[in-house]
Amino acid sequence: MREIFTMWRDTRMIMLVAVVAAVYAAVLIPFQTFQIIPGITSIRPANVFPVIFGIMFGPAAAWGSAIGNLIGDIFGGTFGPGSVGGFVGNFTFGLIGYKLWGNLTPLSSRVEPDFRENAGVQLVEYAVIAIAASAACAVIIAWVVDLLGLVPFAVLGPTILINNSIAAIVLGPPLLYLTYPRLKEMGLLYPDLLRSEDLSSAGSNLNPIAAWGLVVVPLVWLGVGFLLSTGAGAGLTSVTALGAVGILVLAACAVIVGERLSTIVGRV
Amino acid sequence: MSATSLYVDRGTWIHRLDARSTLAFVLAIFVSGYIFDDPRFAAVPLVVAFVSLIAVGGWPNFKRLSPIVAALFVVGLVVWPLFTGPGGPTVIDLGPLVLSERELLFALGRSERIAVFIVGGLLFVTTTSNEEIVSGMRQLGIPFAFCFAVGTALRLFPTFIDAAGTVKQAQEARGLDLSDGNLIERLRSFVPLLVPVFMTAFRNVNTQSMALEARGFDTRRDRTFYGASSMGGIDWAVTVASLVVIVGVVGLRLAGYGTL
Repeated sequence: MREIFTMWRDTRMIMLVAVVAAVYAAVLIPFQTFQIIPGITSIRPANVFPVIFGIMFGPAAAWGSAIGNLIGDIFGGTFGPGSVGGFVGNFTFGLIGYKLWGNLTPLSSRVEPDFRENAGVQLVEYAVIAIAASAACAVIIAWVVDLLGLVPFAVLGPTILINNSIAAIVLGPPLLYLTYPRLKEMGLLYPDLLRSEDLSSAGSNLNPIAAWGLVVVPLVWLGVGFLLSTGAGAGLTSVTALGAVGILVLAACAVIVGERLSTIVGRV
Repeated sequence: MSATSLYVDRGTWIHRLDARSTLAFVLAIFVSGYIFDDPRFAAVPLVVAFVSLIAVGGWPNFKRLSPIVAALFVVGLVVWPLFTGPGGPTVIDLGPLVLSERELLFALGRSERIAVFIVGGLLFVTTTSNEEIVSGMRQLGIPFAFCFAVGTALRLFPTFIDAAGTVKQAQEARGLDLSDGNLIERLRSFVPLLVPVFMTAFRNVNTQSMALEARGFDTRRDRTFYGASSMGGIDWAVTVASLVVIVGVVGLRLAGYGTL
């Protein structure tokens, strides 16, 4: 997990953070007018970026997604205390892709995410990752927004999950198919940029459990949180406590899980 | 005000504040909006934020975002009664729709809170330029590398928005219809737009990094900012007054004011 911090030493990783953030914000802002539920959510094709950039650019995509969403809030006019939730939620949205690719045994395709080999298995692996990342982003934002008393968890959590998942699942595979080989050729994949000693190893026995934890924990958090939130009154307090536990478990899983793409591309 | 910025270049006293003082002022508005459930109390920071926004020339920004503010206000009014317990006399009784006084006041308070946060945030971005935001972040102790990434992203993204617009026009000229079909089909039609936009963006990462390193870019050394400002007397006065307001509203709440 230390690559999250050590990546800030590398100039190209820093530039990647800036470019990911700029691309994410640039595609987020023009589509804020395409409202699904007015004021709550809009059609966000940009939601595909944290997942596919996460798989390709690793920690740079996590920071880039967080900053890009913050810029989207600032220029979209929704900057406020809820932006803290948006920052952490979008950071996790970008983090989960590179933590999970190749780690979801026995479901993993164990090949590069270019949809040229074992495309069916890759599609399933990608869809699970997209849903897990979307769910993690959804529960964190919904938890913070509920904590701030803006929108109840039960309203926002499922909305963000569905909105993020649809964009990521529909747009992700074709975008990866078209861009992954070119970006690899440019030497911009995170295993090419980070020093091998900075890459977190996936050798631990706990790795598969923690990897599936990153899939299951957000979905359980969403389900239980939804039930507690709709329980009304005192239930709102429990959503707060559930979120505190959920974010700690998610963080623990993320620390334990090592990345696999560097092994798949033969970097280590 | 450009299409990609909400900053309004004026010389008002809030514009002249150091970014840290503006943040403290806005933070006081946020805390005041958050602390009270009773809409009569929550209305005070809302009025202060709105009047301040208009005074600094933020009316065009508010007008631009008013559909979102109105929509969120209505959503809050509709949703929150379902998530809180009834209390007090019945205010609305329309068959299946029964609203008690407590439910109505609670929902109104939450909607006002949403509005306080949006208008407060708008006040901050209306009076603080991108450069001031980035140098303010650095002066608050946020690491230089992070501030550099934010600053670079802020400078790059209008370029990418323009690129996205150009690609969109080019693809539409070739027959791409973004408004046709169901949600999935519409999302799929964005692929021909997104690929050129982000390949253009990433093509320059290596060159830009080399240019930075050639000019001695080093994130571990302390850097200076051309536009960095220092805290003057008015900045300290606003910061202290904001802290007093924060302590005051927390005290009022602990004393039982503003609850339902």
